[in-house]
Amino acid sequence: MRWGMVIDLKRCIGCYGCQLACKAEHGTPPGVYYARVLKQEDGEYPTVRQLSLPVLCNHCEDPPCVAACPTGASFKSEEDGIVEIDQDLCVGCRSCMMACPYTNRYFNEQPQHYFPQGATPFEQARTERHQQNVVMKCNFCRDRVRAGKPPACVANCPTVARVFGDLDDPTSEVSRLIKERAGFTLHPELGTGPSVYYLPQ
Amino acid sequence: MNVFSPRQFQTPARDDVWVPSSCSICYGTCSILAHRVDGVVVKIEGNPDSAVGKGRLCGKGVSGIMTHYDPNRLRYPMRRTNPKKGLYQDPGWKRISWEEALDEIAEVLRKVRADDPRKLVVQRTTTVTASRVPFHAFASAFGTPNFSVSGGGQHCGNGAHLISGIMHASWSVVPDFDYCNYAIFFGASKGHSAGHASCSNMGKAADARVRGMKMVVVDPLCNFAAAKATEWVPLRVGTDAALALGMCNVIVNDLGSYDGPYLQAKTNAPYLIGEDKLYVRHAESGKPLVWDLRLNGPRPYDAVAAADMALEGDFMVGEKPCRPAFQCLREHLRKFTPEWAERVSSIPAATVRRLGTEFATEARVGSTIVVDGVTLPYRPVAAIAFRGAQGHRNSVYNFYAVDLLNQLVGAADVVGGCLGFNPTSHGHPDTGRVSYVPSAGPDGLMVVGSWMGYHYPYPPPQPRLPKNLGLQDLFVIGMTSPFLDSVDSEELWTKFEVPYRPEVMINFGANLVMSIANKDAVAESLSRYKFIVSFDLCLTETSNFADILLPDCGYLQSLDSRSNFPFIFSLPGGLGEWCWPIRQPVLPADGEQRQFAEVLLELADRVGFRADLNAAYNAWLDLQPPYRLMGDERYSYENICDRELKNNFGPERGLEWFKSNGVVKWKKKPQEVYWRPFVDVRVPVYWEFLKPIGDKIAAIAAPRGLNVPLEYYDPLPDFLPCRSHCCDKPGFDFYGFYYRDVVHTNSFTMENPWLDEAAQLDPFSYAIAMNRAEARKRGFSDGQMVWVESETGRKVKGRLKLTEGIHPEGLGFAAMCGHWTDGQPIAKGKGVFYNDLLELDWEHASPVNINLDLCVKVRVVAAESAS
Repeated sequence: MRWGMVIDLKRCIGCYGCQLACKAEHGTPPGVYYARVLKQEDGEYPTVRQLSLPVLCNHCEDPPCVAACPTGASFKSEEDGIVEIDQDLCVGCRSCMMACPYTNRYFNEQPQHYFPQGATPFEQARTERHQQNVVMKCNFCRDRVRAGKPPACVANCPTVARVFGDLDDPTSEVSRLIKERAGFTLHPELGTGPSVYYLPQ
Repeated sequence: MNVFSPRQFQTPARDDVWVPSSCSICYGTCSILAHRVDGVVVKIEGNPDSAVGKGRLCGKGVSGIMTHYDPNRLRYPMRRTNPKKGLYQDPGWKRISWEEALDEIAEVLRKVRADDPRKLVVQRTTTVTASRVPFHAFASAFGTPNFSVSGGGQHCGNGAHLISGIMHASWSVVPDFDYCNYAIFFGASKGHSAGHASCSNMGKAADARVRGMKMVVVDPLCNFAAAKATEWVPLRVGTDAALALGMCNVIVNDLGSYDGPYLQAKTNAPYLIGEDKLYVRHAESGKPLVWDLRLNGPRPYDAVAAADMALEGDFMVGEKPCRPAFQCLREHLRKFTPEWAERVSSIPAATVRRLGTEFATEARVGSTIVVDGVTLPYRPVAAIAFRGAQGHRNSVYNFYAVDLLNQLVGAADVVGGCLGFNPTSHGHPDTGRVSYVPSAGPDGLMVVGSWMGYHYPYPPPQPRLPKNLGLQDLFVIGMTSPFLDSVDSEELWTKFEVPYRPEVMINFGANLVMSIANKDAVAESLSRYKFIVSFDLCLTETSNFADILLPDCGYLQSLDSRSNFPFIFSLPGGLGEWCWPIRQPVLPADGEQRQFAEVLLELADRVGFRADLNAAYNAWLDLQPPYRLMGDERYSYENICDRELKNNFGPERGLEWFKSNGVVKWKKKPQEVYWRPFVDVRVPVYWEFLKPIGDKIAAIAAPRGLNVPLEYYDPLPDFLPCRSHCCDKPGFDFYGFYYRDVVHTNSFTMENPWLDEAAQLDPFSYAIAMNRAEARKRGFSDGQMVWVESETGRKVKGRLKLTEGIHPEGLGFAAMCGHWTDGQPIAKGKGVFYNDLLELDWEHASPVNINLDLCVKVRVVAAESAS
């Protein structure tokens, strides 16, 4: 099987719910976002469109980050296609960040808490698993998925713009949506084979 | 009833529980599950068991953890040691005990209550809707009518709520997302970031888009709603009425495609109007007359079959020439040609014509549809407005004109049309509570079945020489008032012989120095108070003026029995479920924090008016035996909440039941959601009542030297310009306006570091949006620091964001940013303080609903980047 995600740009309103639900789920430190929302505009006044593009690790079939990693810290699970980072093996060289054409990897070098006064009880509880000076990124909420729950960004989206499922299963909702609504990936010309698809506006 | 029980996740070995409760990061109050592990909240998710948000939250909702754990939260009561009050005076806070704090407050309150209770002003933020009943009850029991919600009303819906109330019996309106095919939004973002039923509407609007609903968004800025629109129609700031009236003219006079039977049966369109612009009334009964086409004569409106009522024609009743209100409206609309609308709004005449035609065509006048086995009128079009359209001097007419679109085609509270938020409820099947239905009031016009406070929108009370500091008893169409803090408040109070002055303020969480208008005006007003006590989470720019600060519990530490009631406010409209969630503490108070509701009860005891407060709670919560509060017995807030829940849902569903189950819900009936055909009420498409009210106000005001422009009180809507539209000072060529940002609530959330971080990444949140071509003409570049200066010399500084998505004459500011207090170090210095450009006086208020004019003509000059 191969886990994948479909993000419906017709539904998405760019509310940052995914970005912040992810932050709450993983307790990521300042400057680290497993999920982000990019904003862009297209066209000229008055025929202009404001576009929101939620992004996250694409969990590529052929991930350039894995190829670039000198220690084997970045790896792809053959079992379900999730691309992960073994923090214990990461030496923080950031080769993977250079290799990722989607810039969805982050180097954790900032303070580990948001308020200058120190870590909040939440941060103390949620950031204990993080290591500093390593690269971090989305892991498709592996723990939630294993527990039978969808990733936090999928579960939370107020517009129900995100769907999670098995891309290898032609009957899954993600496969159906990609087929029926002309799902596309980002930068297909690079041949990375992203597992995150988008449905057009 | 509830399949899901949070208890099933509980493990005995350690503290690991999901607690059902309610969000409070904005007034939408979506239902949450807070995950607590070993005494720490580690996640907040939406509660999938609730209809309010349906298990999903916006970015603000999931970020509430960081507001809760902010180390800058207040933990102890404090007293100021510096007697001087000012914007930049350090109060010299000194920690005191609750005993000292409550003693001192109670003594002040006792004295002022004995002297004149009206000298107390009770003010609260709109963000915590749970504060409404405790503070309203406290104020009314204390004996003061001087109640305010800071910038609330002025900055959201003085016009929207008034007109939604008069026309839809609800606090706001929304398209029927389940069935609407064509929605036109005027300065509104319902379903795209707005607070009312926030997350629920986001989901419903997304479903509607996928279903194929067309959405036209009329707005100077192409952002949240406009970004998802089928068509963005940019317009000159504050001219929404011009487009709406132009469209009405196209529908009525060019196309003739209005819904005659609806207008006859459900509006005052057939009521006969005399040359004096008033109803022609039946001599004996005083009822408005209509022209009975069958008998060819005048008869009272309730004595004629709707289908026999004339909508057009010229008639004589005795010696009096008269014509149906619809005929007056029709004639009135003729002057609003698409070409006129273009001159006012800058929207091309062809677009005005096309939008009017599309709206009329898509309305499918005369059609019906079957919903849940019930045959109902089907009008799948809706015209929606909110803050953007009505935050102006022409507040009332802007909104009234937009809603006329719905009324003309009969798309009001029917399938697919413009819906009020739940104006009719038949109650829970077990208890029949809470039940309310709009009813016919004076002249057969609709009176709401449920309301939020103040007076009902219709019938308005009679104007009188005012006794309220906000003058709402003179300007009776108004709801919240700018005159508590305006620079001319003393002058107005003197003119109108208001026999007392404000001396004491209880403030709950409002940051009015930033949330009303320019800070100097509000600071001067606050400095006049002899004593201010403020409940706050953190220090604010306003708490600088307080004498005593009380550390409030946050929403994760508080209890409230009615998160989403009244249903007309934040429960999603349209089909679905009725749902009653509660808020309950997930965590204990930190330090000496105490929940405001308990503190108010204790203050009432200390001052000695618990019996009055009990009576007020009985009224506000509609408590019936055996749950009524008796005498001066000292009930805890928890006990009061328990009584309210049992009162509404039966003895088995008290607080303990709700603490475990989170919500009670039941299915809505089509007869509730689409109530209009089932309830015999009419709404005014001709606001006859406005004229006599205007005349009465003028009769009181004119002899006292205040000129009330009566063109604002004409029964039919018009475009009347804002001050900004009249500014012709050279160089002042932008209309400044602000809008609600999707990651921020009022001035509250900039201190939340997750939301602050998201706002910093967003290109617009902390910037000033300017049209790219206009910027180029003036030599401005993206990211440049500029000063924005009003005609009167008020200035704010900010960073430009150049965009194609803004009207060339508009200058857009997000949210209420620009904090300077050290008490909120994350918020400090972020974004732009737009409100500081706004004047706060009679001249900048609507003469009808006293809404503040929120647009301002400005010039933009380059700022030295270092300054």
